[in-house]
Amino acid sequence: MPTQPPLPPLLAPYVSSLPPSSLIVLSTVLGAQGNWLTLRYLYAALNALSTSDAALSFGEGHNGKKQKVVLVSFLRGWEFWRAEAKRLGLDLARLTDKRQFAFVDGLSELFAGPRTTPTPTTPTTTNTTTTQTTPPSLAPSPRGGPVPQRTVLPNRSAPGPIPARGPQPARGPAVAAPAPLAPVAPSAPPAAPASREVGPVKRLHLSGKGPAALDRLEKDIAAVVGHLNGRATASAEEEDDSEVLLVLDQPDLLLAATGPGKEIGATEMTEWVMGLQQYVHATVMTLAADLPLIHNASAAGHQMPTPLETEHAAFAIGSAHRAHLVMQLRDLDTGAARDVSGVLRVSKGGAWGQSDNTDANGNWEEKEALYFVQRDGGVSVFRRGE
Amino acid sequence: MSFRKRNIGLSTGGDRTASVNASAGLQQATSPAAAAAAPESTPGVRPSPDDGRPTTSTGTPSLDNILAGHGGLPIGKTLLVEENGTTDFAGALLRYYAAEGVVQDHRVHVVGMPEQWGRSLPGLIGPADAVDDKQDKRKGERMKIAWRYERLGEFGAGIAGSRATSGDQSQPTADGSPDKRPAFCHAFDLTKRLTHPSITNLNYIPLTPSNEPLFTTIHKRLDAAIASSPPNTVHRIVIPSLLNPTIYPFESSQPDSVLPFLHSLRALLNTPGVRATAMITIPLSLFPRASGLVRWMELISDGVIELCPFPHSADALATSGAATSHEEPPQGMLKTHRLPVLHERGGGSDQNVGQDWAFTLSRRRFEIKPFSLPPAEGDKEGQDGAVSGNMPKKADLEF
Amino acid sequence: MAPTNTSHRQTHNLLLISKLLSLRDTASPLALVLDSLEQPATPLIKEYIRRAKLSKVHITFVAFETLRPLEGVDAFVAARKKSPLEIIKAVNAAYPNVSTSGPSRRRLILIDAINPLLHARRTDAHFNVSSFLSSFLMPQGPPTVSKVEASLVVTFHQDVPSPPLPSPYTPSPLSMLTYLATTIIRLHSFSHILAQKAARDRSLVPPVFGLEEELDGVLLGRLDKPIGNESAQGVVLELEHRRKSGRGVLEWYILPPASRYPPQYAKEIVTLLDDHPLYRPPEEPDFGAGEEEPESTFELRLTDRQRRDREGVVLPYFDAQQGDGPGEGGRILYDMGEEDDFDEEEDEI
Repeated sequence: MPTQPPLPPLLAPYVSSLPPSSLIVLSTVLGAQGNWLTLRYLYAALNALSTSDAALSFGEGHNGKKQKVVLVSFLRGWEFWRAEAKRLGLDLARLTDKRQFAFVDGLSELFAGPRTTPTPTTPTTTNTTTTQTTPPSLAPSPRGGPVPQRTVLPNRSAPGPIPARGPQPARGPAVAAPAPLAPVAPSAPPAAPASREVGPVKRLHLSGKGPAALDRLEKDIAAVVGHLNGRATASAEEEDDSEVLLVLDQPDLLLAATGPGKEIGATEMTEWVMGLQQYVHATVMTLAADLPLIHNASAAGHQMPTPLETEHAAFAIGSAHRAHLVMQLRDLDTGAARDVSGVLRVSKGGAWGQSDNTDANGNWEEKEALYFVQRDGGVSVFRRGE
Repeated sequence: MSFRKRNIGLSTGGDRTASVNASAGLQQATSPAAAAAAPESTPGVRPSPDDGRPTTSTGTPSLDNILAGHGGLPIGKTLLVEENGTTDFAGALLRYYAAEGVVQDHRVHVVGMPEQWGRSLPGLIGPADAVDDKQDKRKGERMKIAWRYERLGEFGAGIAGSRATSGDQSQPTADGSPDKRPAFCHAFDLTKRLTHPSITNLNYIPLTPSNEPLFTTIHKRLDAAIASSPPNTVHRIVIPSLLNPTIYPFESSQPDSVLPFLHSLRALLNTPGVRATAMITIPLSLFPRASGLVRWMELISDGVIELCPFPHSADALATSGAATSHEEPPQGMLKTHRLPVLHERGGGSDQNVGQDWAFTLSRRRFEIKPFSLPPAEGDKEGQDGAVSGNMPKKADLEF
Repeated sequence: MAPTNTSHRQTHNLLLISKLLSLRDTASPLALVLDSLEQPATPLIKEYIRRAKLSKVHITFVAFETLRPLEGVDAFVAARKKSPLEIIKAVNAAYPNVSTSGPSRRRLILIDAINPLLHARRTDAHFNVSSFLSSFLMPQGPPTVSKVEASLVVTFHQDVPSPPLPSPYTPSPLSMLTYLATTIIRLHSFSHILAQKAARDRSLVPPVFGLEEELDGVLLGRLDKPIGNESAQGVVLELEHRRKSGRGVLEWYILPPASRYPPQYAKEIVTLLDDHPLYRPPEEPDFGAGEEEPESTFELRLTDRQRRDREGVVLPYFDAQQGDGPGEGGRILYDMGEEDDFDEEEDEI
């Protein structure tokens, strides 16, 4: 198959020029993951300003505004996104340096906390290669604070700022450990005073119970958004020249892994997402929409649905109600095929049409198409029979 | 193919320069493929033919083959093996996986099993391909290989490093005979017991009750064990029969208990510099796939395989699935719900996608092959007749 | 149904919906809008707002899941992270109590979705939907001189599963709400109604859409033009209203899309579903008003000449009654024609 354009033409209207304060829900299932589509959103936002993309000519969008992206991933690490974006021609590390992109790591330390090495000989024994190369100035703080030992420097050329904490007192010990910030390379990003640097990789950690725990996560993410906006404080009510796109990759994990036992339910999650939405221009959120997670709760008479299923269904369906657009990925109904990866159905969500402004609603048309992810990462989207 | 491009960094890497190379890899690109593959010479790890990321064998050649073209389980990935019914085919897969780790001198961590489990690992026969190819010469082969691996166990990565792994850029070895190349996957005999010097290195993580939640303890011990081992060690985490109430306490099947554990495990495996894989089995009879909890466990895992053993190996069933009479009848169906790397990227484009698989467990191997429906039951007699008696008659008729 | 009934229905029920949507005469203090992903309540809510604007009703929007205020809303109360008590306070504070001089004695309180509140952990076990809702209608504050007529429109997402009940004996929130509400409006997508009607007309199983398909990975089934008809847009309202007398009214209406009429349009735009040309095509013969005979697709009446001819027909049994002899009667007299195939064994003459 020939190489595909990074943005398949059929997909372009849906991934670029998102209306303000909109929510796009990307629902996926076990066999049809949406990472490729998430990457298309990154691409549409980040690539548009560098090349202005005449080749694809996806319409009016953008309004000449700069787009920035904050990616919060709960199931996949930085390495995955960096490597996959590379296949699309996006250098996330470079974009991080240019403060157009920020990655928030919800995988590494979400539940486990920073890796506490039992042996005191930290730098040599812990993590093999990476720590060995860490300059002494970057050695983990003796308190075992949240400054990660493994400095995941996502940069190719110039290692950027190390993953330090933001200005917000996110956690107790975090404040006390003011990140030994010595720029590693001479060409460290010149901007931002070192003390309030928010590193390229911010790690989330869930501690405590209930909405308070979520509030802390919200603060952390808001700090990253604020950093990207060039503001120290994250009070992004007015949009100036840049639009920040927030991509939440599977926040439903938070709900599944905490649940009613931790006093986090669908409503709390929804409010958490709403809180995040207030900081950014538009939000893209991926959710699992597998049959057991959606329908066990509603199919009456089968069995008592578990709290996990009820809460997940309430969160997912409630989010679809709040969404302007719902991109649904699923397996091919007729079983797996070699040249089709899955089905993409684009539907208008419950919040579509709330604004009277027609171009704020986007010129979206509901449709269903097939997609195929090639080995090289290229994606073709086509209608049935094409 | 993106194969060659990714491997540029690899060719420079010898084992002596492993750390240097890795540091270079860190500064250049910290992709798991580049960084972790730099000390390429580790036994039992080879670059994937698909995209060059390091992979390791599951100990079952045919399972390696269906893992989306990587020829093994990519480093940093978890494989969830689900099993219906009360059989223990998944346990056999786990034993092969652990035994392969022992033979390759990987560090094997076993969660929730007593030490007897380690003693019941299947005995080594030899490299898997050698067993396949030279069945007649197996005895002599085994001697040679066993000897070789004993040395391997002593000297560790150094010896193996001088030899190239399989792959396109193998450095010419001193005596380029193929036998000298370290095998990627081995064959084991379930009726024998594995004797290997490094079998004592198995790290057992018991499920002892303590103040903390059980899974927190397990995770901490795993983390500590991995952190305290020398760099470049390849780890295998074996978690048999997760959530099985005879092993695990009841409260462990709470989503807020097991899902954070799996998530942390995933985080641990994804940590740059950590080279580990994990294989988990779960009894589906107790935790059905239709439940939300299991679906989330699947979503957190990189690969999901379901084993559906046939109810009984009654004669009718046993003979029905076999394509020819001397092939062993399949003992169950195997479904691949998710494959590492492939599905994370979006799925599709794998030759094996959509294939129906059947598995057969014999003394020597766990074999997975395409499943083909047997001829309808009614035809069976006629077919048997055709094979035995009617064929000559047909020839006569042609006369 | 008798034709008189139809016209009666048309006038009365259209009046009713007009009254309900325009909040006239406080016809319904609590309206419950049951929507789903297949037909969200947004168009109806906007219609409520439009009409309230026209009649200068003060609108308070309580947002559980909306971030930006809708256009035309006078007061926007974000209910995010608020306890029920705080919400009540905020809503009551939103109404300009001091301006007694103003003409707006009516207020409309819209709740965009009640589900999050029912799900929320922060609502303790003593939380009661009925007292929560009634506190909007009857503010607890000091007995103000100007009594405000408040109408409450509550949206409930039917497809969001309800949380487990605190006790197996308590009624579910939905049954609670439907019991309390004086008006219940269930929303359907017009194109789905048409598709289901088309299937039913052909005695096929009516199709289901979206979540009801129970397909892996399908949340929404709505596609813009599933039947390829531009005019199949609109929202079908299934209205259930309880009059003060206790009598219930059940009627189906259709609300055309907002693009079909100007925002200031004052006439009634909602029509009965049965009057919609797509739902009931106009080719269907009109019921002539005032006919006595029962209507049927068959023409049962005879002209005079037909009646005369019918009487003139001589039937075989007339012959038999003439009594030509024993055993002769009752025979069918028949002459073989050319085209008849005579079989000796079977046929005898």
